[in-house]
Amino acid sequence: MEKVECIVVGGGLAGLSAAYGLAGAGAEVMVLERGDYSGAKNVTGGRLYVSPIRGFYPELWEEAPFERPVARELITMMGDGAHTTFELASDRLAHPPQSYTVVRARLDQWLAEKVGEKGGMVVPGMKVDELLRKEGRIVGIRAGADEIGADVVVVAEGVLRLLAEPAGLAARPVDRDHALGYKEVIELPAGVIEDRWNLNPGEGAAQLFLGSVTQGMLGGGFLYTNKESISLGVVVGMQAMKADGREIKSHELLDRWKELPQIKPLVAGGTVAEYSAHAIPEGGIAKVPRLYGDGYVLAGDAAGLSLNALVTVRGMDFAIASGYYAAQAILRARQAGDFSAAGLASYEVALRDSFVLKDLETARIYPQFMELPRLFTHYPTAVSRLFEDVFTIGPGPTPSLMKKAWKGIRRDFLNLGTLQDAWLARKL
Amino acid sequence: MDIVVCVKTNPDPQMVRIRNREPVLEAVPYKLGDLDKNALEAAIQVRDAVGGKVVAVTVAETNRKIKETVKEALAMGADEAVIVDDPAAMTLDQAAVATVIAAAVKKLPACDLLLFGEGSSDNYTGQVPSRVAEKLGVPQVGYARKVEAAEGAVRCERSMDEMIETLELPLPAAVTVVSEINEPRIPSLMHIMKAGSKPTQVWTLADIGVDAAALAPKQEVVSNLAEEQDRKHVLFEGAAAEQAAAFVDALVKEGVVGR
Repeated sequence: MEKVECIVVGGGLAGLSAAYGLAGAGAEVMVLERGDYSGAKNVTGGRLYVSPIRGFYPELWEEAPFERPVARELITMMGDGAHTTFELASDRLAHPPQSYTVVRARLDQWLAEKVGEKGGMVVPGMKVDELLRKEGRIVGIRAGADEIGADVVVVAEGVLRLLAEPAGLAARPVDRDHALGYKEVIELPAGVIEDRWNLNPGEGAAQLFLGSVTQGMLGGGFLYTNKESISLGVVVGMQAMKADGREIKSHELLDRWKELPQIKPLVAGGTVAEYSAHAIPEGGIAKVPRLYGDGYVLAGDAAGLSLNALVTVRGMDFAIASGYYAAQAILRARQAGDFSAAGLASYEVALRDSFVLKDLETARIYPQFMELPRLFTHYPTAVSRLFEDVFTIGPGPTPSLMKKAWKGIRRDFLNLGTLQDAWLARKL
Repeated sequence: MDIVVCVKTNPDPQMVRIRNREPVLEAVPYKLGDLDKNALEAAIQVRDAVGGKVVAVTVAETNRKIKETVKEALAMGADEAVIVDDPAAMTLDQAAVATVIAAAVKKLPACDLLLFGEGSSDNYTGQVPSRVAEKLGVPQVGYARKVEAAEGAVRCERSMDEMIETLELPLPAAVTVVSEINEPRIPSLMHIMKAGSKPTQVWTLADIGVDAAALAPKQEVVSNLAEEQDRKHVLFEGAAAEQAAAFVDALVKEGVVGR
């Protein structure tokens, strides 16, 4: 059997980040990517938080092909026929940028090139069929008829775990722990984007939508401004979708949402350039599998490393960080000549000491909180109803502002159900 | 038989989108031309049948990821690769490309058969093969749907509109192939891994004795616009059978069917 030191399965951000670190330190590394090129199969909503990862490979982020630094954050609560948007425009978000909108086809191809420059080998269009096991240890991979051995395999195959699960490295993904995302990339001239979202030239906006966008199901809508396009999509919990027994198909949510009078002007005049869909791990820390073992480490989505915290949605920074720490652990194992679980154990230790598992731990309760039935139905509607009351002048005498506000708060926010929600929310 | 296959790096046509009638090449991956793969496959088959060597020859162009495509050719089964990479030869017209390729082929120790795809995946001018053959003074045939080694010769079947022509050319000769000639192999991982260690030579214009001044373009691309298509926007209504009948009538009227 032909053999290399390190095989990375999956040329997304986690796999490429690991390969970059390994190749940079002189390890022999081969990345196998199923898509025709890195980024071909990947779907992101559109935003990468760079602050957490700036310290890893600092030379990379200065020249990375990001789209726009996010200078405006918008959260829109969509009720029936009324939406309320909170908007934060902050100099401190943009200088220095804490997050950028990204287009994966561009970002991942670029990172694959960087891996190549470091001496790593990236093989696109190569589907790995199996992780090879021998005496309980991962010893390589099979792709078609070829079996290639490796000291260590970085399993960064993505959310579906098509290889990790049969090899017994992680559980089969279940609907309850996953959401489904649908996205369109809609081309608009840069000037139109900047006018529409009140942006300075080059700056970007991120807008999240809760409520009627998913027709009350767990999930939401997102909109990120790229250089000359916007990424517009809907994420919906798989179990909510199935349990609901609705007539509507999940992909129709996006079509219907785009037709709403509140959304239509945002996409007016645009041309749909891409359509994509993807599963998203949302199980939180409780569903993170064992991250390493004899001859392998798990990274990125394959390890369940993503975090939907309602107003911030993260995954790519975790992917890059896990790839970085995987590379560090493998290099230590290489030094010691021990690629057993004991030799690779520093990977999980490093992740536990880092923001990755710490932030997931902090958010342990989020998946449970997200299942609150009122979160995507009652509250978005109630917020808009409250503001509607406040802004309404009827035909007769108008009650005082505070009276109007209190009436709405008592009606929609002070009852047993909402207080129970608030009790759970204290842990967020 | 020593076979030279001339290959070109093209933007993946499936990934090129049109904006304002112009191709958007940003973030588009580059790959070996489709017909170039047919030519390579044909070369590999001839080599495997009669022995010899397959050398892939290409000319670097601005922004095109030449090394990866050359690696693709080596992974498919070429034995060696030659890249002409010179800052003075980054944007060439077809005549200049032919000058460069002919000079590179002359520098090779041996070349019995030159194979090309009928046209490139991007501009498909189909000019380079004939120009190279002319410069080298070798016979050339196009539209080959079969290429076989014969005694001191190459036997080709040409795919003509309503007939198949079989020709034998004395070596050295140049042949351009069409897609029906074969199904190009998809390299296995093992072959991709081994491709990295196959010899690749990078030559400059000086190495092949070409003066950059001789490459000055004789033509200039003024614009490169996608054809504008007016859709007819005809909507058929009524029962399914009526719609189908009206649809067929319309197709006949347009001359699309029933000629």
